[in-house]
Amino acid sequence: MKLIGLSLKGLRRDLRAADVRALFVALMLAVAATTMIGFFLDRLDRGLTRQAGQLLGGDLVLEQGRPFDGELRQALRDAGLRLSDQVDLVSMVSQADAFQPAGLKVVDDHYPLYGRVRVDRGNGIEALDHGPRPGHAWIAPRLAQLLDVKLGDSVQVGTLALTISGLIDREPDQQAGFAGLTPRIMLNLADLDATGLVRPGSRIEYELLAAGPSAAVDSLSGRLDELRDAGVEVRDVRVDRPSLGRSLERAQKYLSLAGLAAVLLAGVAVAMATRRYVDRHLDTAALLRCFGASQRQLGQLFAWQLGWLGLAAAVIGALLGLAGQAALLALLVRFLPLELPPPGWLPWLMGILTALAVLIGFAGPTLLRLRRVSALKVLRRELDPIPVAGWLVVAVASLVFGALLWLYSGDALLSLGTLLGGLVALVVLWGVGQLLLSLLLGVLARLPQGNGGHAWRLGGRQLARRRQASLGQLLAFAVTFAAMAIIVLVRGDLLTTWQAQLPANTPNYFAINIQPQERDGVETLIEEAADSASGLYPMVRGRLTAIDGRPPSEMVPEEHRNDGALRRDLNLTWRGSLPQGNRITAGEWFGAGASQTIDGAVPISVEEELADRLGLSLGDRLTFTIGSDTVTGEITSLRHLDWESFQPNFFIIFPPGALEGFGHSYITSFHLPDASNAMLGEMVRQYPGVSILNVEALLEQVRGILGQVTRAVEFVLGFVLLAGVSVLYAALTASRPARAHEGALLRVFGAGDRMLSRMQWAEFALLGFASGLLGAVLAELAAVGIYAWLGLTPRLHWLLWATMPPVGALAIGIIGFTLSRGTRRQAPMASLRLLGET
Amino acid sequence: MSHSSENQQARILHASGLGKRVKNGERELVILEALSLHVDRGESVAIVGSSGAGKSTLLGLLAGLDMPSSGELEMFGQSLRALDEDGRAALRAGRVGFVFQNFQLLPTLTAMENVMLPLELSPRQDVTAKSRQWLERVGLGGRLDHLPKQLSGGEQQRVAVARAFVTEPDLVFADEPTGNLDETTGKRIIDLLFELNREAGTTLVLVTHDLALARRCDRCLQLEGGALHAIERRTGVGV
Ligand SMILES: Nc1ncnc2c1ncn2[C@@H]1O[C@H](COP(=O)(O)OP(=O)(O)OP(=O)(O)O)[C@@H](O)[C@H]1O
Ligand SMILES: [Mg+2]
Repeated sequence: MKLIGLSLKGLRRDLRAADVRALFVALMLAVAATTMIGFFLDRLDRGLTRQAGQLLGGDLVLEQGRPFDGELRQALRDAGLRLSDQVDLVSMVSQADAFQPAGLKVVDDHYPLYGRVRVDRGNGIEALDHGPRPGHAWIAPRLAQLLDVKLGDSVQVGTLALTISGLIDREPDQQAGFAGLTPRIMLNLADLDATGLVRPGSRIEYELLAAGPSAAVDSLSGRLDELRDAGVEVRDVRVDRPSLGRSLERAQKYLSLAGLAAVLLAGVAVAMATRRYVDRHLDTAALLRCFGASQRQLGQLFAWQLGWLGLAAAVIGALLGLAGQAALLALLVRFLPLELPPPGWLPWLMGILTALAVLIGFAGPTLLRLRRVSALKVLRRELDPIPVAGWLVVAVASLVFGALLWLYSGDALLSLGTLLGGLVALVVLWGVGQLLLSLLLGVLARLPQGNGGHAWRLGGRQLARRRQASLGQLLAFAVTFAAMAIIVLVRGDLLTTWQAQLPANTPNYFAINIQPQERDGVETLIEEAADSASGLYPMVRGRLTAIDGRPPSEMVPEEHRNDGALRRDLNLTWRGSLPQGNRITAGEWFGAGASQTIDGAVPISVEEELADRLGLSLGDRLTFTIGSDTVTGEITSLRHLDWESFQPNFFIIFPPGALEGFGHSYITSFHLPDASNAMLGEMVRQYPGVSILNVEALLEQVRGILGQVTRAVEFVLGFVLLAGVSVLYAALTASRPARAHEGALLRVFGAGDRMLSRMQWAEFALLGFASGLLGAVLAELAAVGIYAWLGLTPRLHWLLWATMPPVGALAIGIIGFTLSRGTRRQAPMASLRLLGET
Repeated sequence: MSHSSENQQARILHASGLGKRVKNGERELVILEALSLHVDRGESVAIVGSSGAGKSTLLGLLAGLDMPSSGELEMFGQSLRALDEDGRAALRAGRVGFVFQNFQLLPTLTAMENVMLPLELSPRQDVTAKSRQWLERVGLGGRLDHLPKQLSGGEQQRVAVARAFVTEPDLVFADEPTGNLDETTGKRIIDLLFELNREAGTTLVLVTHDLALARRCDRCLQLEGGALHAIERRTGVGV
C-alpha cells in the first residue's frame, strides 16, 4: 500500500511538531498507567489468592471425622489437584513427669502444599518445604517451655517416643483464629498409628488438602455439594479467603481509580493536541484534495499516520508500565511473603486497547475534519471546514471513556452513572465557564487605570475574546485539576484512615482461657506491663440451636446451611456498654441494666455480617445451647465491627445478668512494647492455664501491607500528577502559535517586553485561577460519589477550595509563561514569518 | 497634529549602508546590500521592485521589526542599533503603523477587536469610538463583528489599513496596501492615505506594484540587486 509508506513518511516529518510529541506522550502515559496498574493488580490479586491458599493450607480443604476414601482422592487428582493429608487431634504429651495437652498436627510428605515451614533445628531459623521426618517431632517453643525440654530430647506422644528435632517459628498454614489454642506439636503421618491415639471414639479431624487451578476446583462443584450434604466441611479459598479486609480492597479500588484518572487526563491531552494537529494539517489536506485525493484516501492517510503513532506509544507505554509495576512490586514484595505469579498477558491487551480507545474517542471526531476539507480551501482560507462541535467531541470521548470504565470495573450501572454524572457536570461547567468569562470582561473594565492594572486588563480581555478556545482550555484544565485533586484527596483520607486503624499501641498479644478466679491477678499483671489493654471480656461457648423456635437449618438461606457458625460453638459474651470500635447499624443498644426478659428472652446484639449470612433481622429470637441448658435472646440491635482492630470481637453480645451462671473464662488483648517482656514468663509461671497468643507477626503483616500499599499509592499518585502536567503541556503547546502571533503583533504596535510578559502572566493566571475554581467544584462533586464507593466518610474539603484556584493560577502561569518565553524574545518579523507558514 | 517637539528635524528615517543577509543552511543569501535611504517628515515614498527583490524585508528593517546585518538606521532621529527589542517597540508605540502584505489579522478576533488592539496598549477612553470611525472610513462599518475568515481578501486588507491608521501615527509603512483591491476600492484607500498625508503630515513608505499609487507619491524608488535607485517620477512608468 502506497498510503502506508506515505503515512510513515508524513509521521516522521511530523515528529518535529510539538503537538505530535504531546499526542505521543499523552498516549504513552495512558497506556503506561493502565498497564502498570493492570499488571500490578492482576499479580497482586493472584498473589493474595495464593497467600490465602497458603494460610488455608490449599486451594480446597476437606475435613471430616474419618479418613477419606481412595475414590475421592482419585477424583480430585483427576481434576488436576495435588493432594496432601493431614490429621488434627488434641492429646496429652509428656516428658518425664511433665504432662501437657497439645494440638497434634500430623502431616504427610507432601506438606506443605504452599509456602514453607519456619523452624529452628539448631542452626537458627530455616524455611523448609517439608514437615518432620518419621521418628521426629517439631514443637512450639511454648510447649518446650512448659515441658522443660530442648532440641534432641525425646517426647512421649501416646505410646510413641519421638525425638524433638525442631522448634516451630511459623507454620505457613497457621490460622490466626483461636482454633488451635493448645500449643502445637507436629509429627509425620507415618508415625500416627504407632502412637495408638487413633481409637474408636477419639476426636480426630481428618483433612484432605488440595492445590491447583481454580478451574479444577470449579469442575468439582457438583461433587463438593454432595460432600457438604454428607457433612464434610468444605473450604474453598475463594470463598473462605481470610481477607486483609477493607484496607486492601480500598487500596485496589484506589489504584483502579488512579488508573482511570490517568486515562482521562491523557484523553484530555490527546483531544487538545489533536485540535492543533488538525489545524496544522488542514492545508496539507486541502492540497492533497487539489491533487485529486479522495476523502477516503485522506481519511486513511491520517488514520494510518495516527495509527502508527498510537501503536508506538502503546508498545513503549506498555514497556514503561511493565517497568512501573516491577517498581511497585519491589515496594511490596519485600514484606509480602507472596510468591507472585509472573505478569499475565491480559494487561498488555488492555494497554493496547486503551491506546486505541483513547485515540478513537478523544481524537476521532476532530480528525474527521481533515476528511471534509475541500480543495477550494487552498484558494480561500475562509473555507475551513466548520470546526467540530464541542459537544460531539465530548460525547464521543465520554462514550469511549464510559466503555473503558465498564471494561475495567465490569459494572455497567456504575459506568453509566458515572458517565451521565460526568456529562451533566460538563454541561454545567460549560455554562459556568461562559459566565466566568463574561464576568471577567465586566470586572476588568472596572479595574483601576494604572499601568500594571492595564496589562492585566488587556490579558483578561484577550482571554475572554478568544471565547471558544478559552472555554475549551478552561474545561480541559478544570477536568485535569479535578482528577489530580481527587487522587490527592483520596490518598490523604485513605492514609489517615489507615493510620487511625492501627495506632502504635494496637494490641499485639491475646490472653485467653483466664478463669474467673484468675481474673484479678491476670489483670494486674497486664496493667503493670502493658501500655494498652482491651479490658477483660467474659466468654461463654454456646451453639445456636434454634431460630424463632425452629431448627436453624430450616430458617437459614440455603447457601449458608453449612455456615461454620452453625456447626461450631460460638463465643458469647455479656457487656453493658458497646465495645470500642463497634457501631450499631440497626436497632438500639440495650441499656446497661437491661437484663430483664421479654417473654422469656433477653435482648441481644448480633454482628451484622453474621446476621446477613443467616438471614437474621431485628426481632428474631435465637436459642443457644450452653452445656445442657438453653438461653434465648431477641435481637434488638445489629453491630458493625472492625475485624482488623486486634480487639476481642464477638458475634453475639448479651446484656449483663444473662450468662453469668454458665461456666465461662475471660479473654483480653493488650500491647506489650517489647517481646522479651518478663511479664510473659511470669504469666506462664503463675497462671499455666492461661494461653497467650502473640499476634505481633500478623499485626506486622497488616501494618506492612498498609505501609507498602501506601507507598504504592504515592507512586501511582506521582504518575497521575505527571499525566496531569502532560495535559497542561499539551494544551498550552496547542495554543502557543495563536499566542505567539498575538505577541508578535503587539510588538509591532509597540508593546514592550514588560507589557507582554505581564499580559501573558495575567492571561495564564486568570485561566488557571478560573480552571482551579471549576476544578474544585468538579472534584467536590465527584468526591461525593467516589467516597461512597470507597466506603470513606465524605466531608467538605475547605482546603481544596482555598488552594485550587491559586495553585491553578501558579501552575498554568508558570508552564504557559515558560512555554511562550521563546516567542517573546524573537524579533517580530521573524515570528510573523514563521507563523505565516501555517 | 501630533508633531512632537523633540523631533523637529525634518529627517524621519535615515538608513546608510543597510545590509541584510540570511543563512540558509550552508549558504548565505544576500537580500540587501549597502542600501541608503532618507525620508523626510510628511514625505510619501513608493518602493517598487520585482518579486523577491527584498521589498518586504526592507520595510521590516525600516520599521525596526527586524535587525539589519550591517549598516546604520535612525528613526525619529534615534539610532535603532542602540536600542534593544524593547526600546524599538517603545519607539514605535503609537507613532508607527504597519500594513502587512499578508495582513496579519488575529483570526479569533473580530474586525473591530483587531482594530482596537493597538489602541488598547495604552489606557485610553476613546478606543471603541475611534476604531469604529476608522472601520467606517475604509468602508467596513457594517462588518464590525465579523471574523477575518468571514471577510474577503480585500476586506481583510482594509481592516489591516484601518488598524495601521487608528493610532494616528507619524509614520506608516504599507506593504502592497492595494494589492488585493479592485480599482474603485483601491482608489478609495489611496485617497485615504494621501488625505492623511496631507492633513496630519503622516509620512508614508509604501511598497507597491500599483502604478497609480506609485505615481501619486513624492518619490519613487526601485529596489534592485539589494540597493535602491531613484526613478524619475514623470517618466518613471517603465519599471
Ligand atoms: N528569514 C529569511 N530566511 C530565508 N530567506 C529569506 C528570509 N527573509 C527573506 N528571505 C528571502 O529574501 C528574498 C526577499 O524576500 P522579500 O519577502 O523581501 O521579497 P519581496 O520583494 O517582498 O517579494 P514579493 O514582491 O514577492 O513580496 C526572498 O527570496 C526570500 O525568500
Ligand atoms: Mg513582499
